[in-house]
Amino acid sequence: MKDTKDTAVEKVDRKQAEPARKGRMYIPNTDIYEKDDSILVRCDMPGVAQENLDIRLDNNELEITGTQTVSAMDEMDPLINEYATGTYRRRFNIPQLIDRDKIHARLHNGVLELELPKAEQAKPRKIEISTER
Amino acid sequence: MYWTNSRTWSPFGELRGLQREMNRLFDGYDNGTSLSRFPALNVWGNTDQIIVTAELPGLEIEDLDLSVVNNQLTIKGERKNDKPAEDAVCHRNERGCGAFVRTVKLPFAVENDRITAKYENGVLSIVMPRQEATKPKRIEIKTA
Repeated sequence: MKDTKDTAVEKVDRKQAEPARKGRMYIPNTDIYEKDDSILVRCDMPGVAQENLDIRLDNNELEITGTQTVSAMDEMDPLINEYATGTYRRRFNIPQLIDRDKIHARLHNGVLELELPKAEQAKPRKIEISTER
Repeated sequence: MYWTNSRTWSPFGELRGLQREMNRLFDGYDNGTSLSRFPALNVWGNTDQIIVTAELPGLEIEDLDLSVVNNQLTIKGERKNDKPAEDAVCHRNERGCGAFVRTVKLPFAVENDRITAKYENGVLSIVMPRQEATKPKRIEIKTA
């Protein structure tokens, strides 16, 4: 299993403007699944508390931003430092078929789960064939 | 400082180290140094305690197993595949899953009974107080 942040750093889009503030930016590792009635997005965001997580939907763009909380290590010396902390940010394009009012988000043990239900007209349906007599 | 190896040098120790390296290479088993570095660890210490933190999102407490043996902390665990349903179509899969083991050598003996660990927002942190007997003591010099 590869370190999540190694891959995250590799994927940073250089064209995107970097915010002028302290801390590194990371792109959270994400799984996207599609079911018949919804799209499920899961993002790894360890160390992000619920109050530091911001999810915005602007037209077709869904942006998630989460800042990691770091507990202060007073009078402690760093002995091994293998990962750094910062802010997770990622944008997704939301297709028209999603019902925007019913998007549901849940944060559990450092994983953000977004459930994007499909609008009624976008759900697959069986078409009944009427037989003419 | 306190992160020094107290073992004195011996040629057999070197050989044992080599053997360990070879075993690890062929077992694919991580002993906490170079090959697999999952999870990434941050370690802080002072003369009284050691704090180890690791980012492990998406686990449950029962999936984690911590132990301290011979001044070595071992973090074992497994992240289970959380595919929502068998028939769900996967568009993107960046979050890995599977079992992991990570061992880290501690710079001093710790009080095994007073170790505390917490798992919060996907971050594991372990606080290990130093054994009283191994703490450095100031030695008073008396004048004759």
